[in-house]
Amino acid sequence: MAVDSDAGVISASIDDPERFGLLFDRHATAMYRYFVRRVGSDAADSLLGELFRVAFERRATYDCRHENARPWLYGIATRLLARHHRSEARRLRATARLAASLDRGSDPSEQLVAAMDAAVLWPAVAEALTRLPQVERDVLLLYAWEDLSYGDIATALGVPVGTVRSRLHRARRRLRELEAPSGR
Amino acid sequence: MTDELSALRRLRPDQVHPDYPAEPTVFSRHKEQLMAMIGDTDLAAITDTMPDIYPRLAYNDERAALDYLTRVFQFQEIREARMDQGDTMLAWLRTGTGVIMLGHANEEVHQISSPQTVGGTTVQIMVYVHDVDAHYAHAVREGAIISMPIQDAFYGVRRYEATDLEGHRWHFGERFEDITARGGTVSEHPDGGLPKG
Repeated sequence: MAVDSDAGVISASIDDPERFGLLFDRHATAMYRYFVRRVGSDAADSLLGELFRVAFERRATYDCRHENARPWLYGIATRLLARHHRSEARRLRATARLAASLDRGSDPSEQLVAAMDAAVLWPAVAEALTRLPQVERDVLLLYAWEDLSYGDIATALGVPVGTVRSRLHRARRRLRELEAPSGR
Repeated sequence: MTDELSALRRLRPDQVHPDYPAEPTVFSRHKEQLMAMIGDTDLAAITDTMPDIYPRLAYNDERAALDYLTRVFQFQEIREARMDQGDTMLAWLRTGTGVIMLGHANEEVHQISSPQTVGGTTVQIMVYVHDVDAHYAHAVREGAIISMPIQDAFYGVRRYEATDLEGHRWHFGERFEDITARGGTVSEHPDGGLPKG
């Protein structure tokens, strides 16, 4: 375990708590962005403080085999987000409305948008996403929005990699079905 | 295969609002609060283990109870444990090495009711705190319903009793040896709680 790795810092913070501030410096921006994406900036603000308080209180339980603490922080953040399902649904709908009103010809999913009226597609995606079971939405968004690997998602959520794969698979299937109920 | 994943990626809010403003003050404020919290030794000493036994208390308004117990009796919520279940919720609170769980009264499944509904309770919850005098003063300031004022009891504990907003009965105490260890003095003839006659 490298002394200046996250694992080293957390381990040192057991006896020297102030060292934990370094974890904040390294990860606060990324975690704040995650919160903003999922629940908007107002909720993200309070969640950011809560995340690092909880992480600090739980630091003795950190598994120091993981040098990088980011997946662990994503895990705590994701559990905290479970309480904000309503803000999350609101945020998704607002984003979908905005996406539907924007015209972006250069976007890679242009063809998809062309195939399905944007005004229908984005709200459908958002609605489908809000209707996914919480555990599937968590896995899906950690994968698609946060670009976490299967292994990191498994570490974050404390489940085996196989579970991550099957949740992701189910979530994608459900999303396809819900997006196109007419069987398109 | 692109389809639903690319659609989802396209819906990532910062793709939709590309000029999302970053607020550096958010970070400096939270860093400051974190470091202040870290400097607080009481909080830093919190252990992570859950006791093998703890009660689940039933309330008709568990959100009000959560606010009350944290504000008046200074319990600390184990924040990441909270479970929202639509209109109701479950929460876990910690004080010292102990934990209580609180939730909505549930007559159907668990057959547990709020004392408010039943008109009384069959349980008194014993809580030991550091500096019970300060704890008492705080509770009184916050409007606690004191059912027995603070007093040195014959069993070697300075204690007071309170009834919470729905009638659960709490006994807060500090052992004499802990009081003297923090420089306090205790009655030489404590008789609080002795049966009369």
